[in-house]
Amino acid sequence: MHDVRFTGEDILARQLELAEANYRRLREKHVRSISVLGAIGSGKTTLVEQAIDRLQGQGLCVATIAADSAGDDDHRRFVARGAKSVNVNTQDDCHLDAHTVDHALDALPLDDVDVLFIENVGNLICPADFPLGADAEVVVISVTEGDDMVRKHPKIFAQTDFVVVNKVDLAVAVGVDPKRIVDDYSAVNPHGKLFLTSLRRGEGLDELLNALGLGCMSTQW
Amino acid sequence: MHEYAVVDELIGALVPRLAEHPGRVRTVVVRKGELRILSDHALANAFEILARGTRLEGADLVLETVATVVSCTTCGYHGPAGRFGGEDDHFSIPVLSCPQCGADVHVDAGRELYVDHVTLSDDSPADG
Repeated sequence: MHDVRFTGEDILARQLELAEANYRRLREKHVRSISVLGAIGSGKTTLVEQAIDRLQGQGLCVATIAADSAGDDDHRRFVARGAKSVNVNTQDDCHLDAHTVDHALDALPLDDVDVLFIENVGNLICPADFPLGADAEVVVISVTEGDDMVRKHPKIFAQTDFVVVNKVDLAVAVGVDPKRIVDDYSAVNPHGKLFLTSLRRGEGLDELLNALGLGCMSTQW
Repeated sequence: MHEYAVVDELIGALVPRLAEHPGRVRTVVVRKGELRILSDHALANAFEILARGTRLEGADLVLETVATVVSCTTCGYHGPAGRFGGEDDHFSIPVLSCPQCGADVHVDAGRELYVDHVTLSDDSPADG
């Protein structure tokens, strides 16, 4: 028996390199990029729709990469709002990866784009280990999933600096106390920022966009 | 089940690097930081299935957990991260905040995921 030792290169090194290449490419084109991930039905698409309206209202050009296992429903919603959008079907894959994003970027007019939203597949766990190269990552959950979401997925929230808790207007109807989510999050991530939103009504969006540095964005960024 | 994608990357990178090392691969030892969101059970299953037909077929995947170590630029603390959850929960996780002064911290260990070493025996796979 004998051992062969290795240098400690990350198993996902290839993915990390691709993510860094995406990051550099977007920076060179002066595109701000936000990765949006979270559970199915939490409001990821609504968040991006509302952000498109808000940012276009500031005269900015918004692009989207809409990822789903199948179909182009989200993509069509973004196009209807006026975004430059690319549809990505991951088929049986539970997450987007940096390689797929690289190809999607090829199809976008990056010279014209100010802000890019990458909406991941509805899945709270799997995308967490696959960086895409965005400037910031936002995790979206909603009160309808229960007030124990942070406790059930503590590792994700401990490492996520922007969390949206959506559908707070339904909290009473579903018997959920949003304060419990807020308290759990501040326990696992004392430095993270959490936003209580009702995105269908546009409530809470401004605070999130401000925190992401997209509040009153200049096209000179 | 993103563990299959991770193991696919592992096998794809490891097999070419073992080309110059003859012998039968017995164990593949992977060090996994506790902040990585990967199921040990799913990794082992994925490895058993995806290794078939490669040099790694029949080898054991051994996972060693690396605890989280943080350092604080505010107060100078360097050591284990504080924990959330614990005895009442069957799961406790590191909190990325200084356990001494509460400031933001740099993560020194806990996010790694790499092949530490591979153990080979001197027989060849064809020897059965």
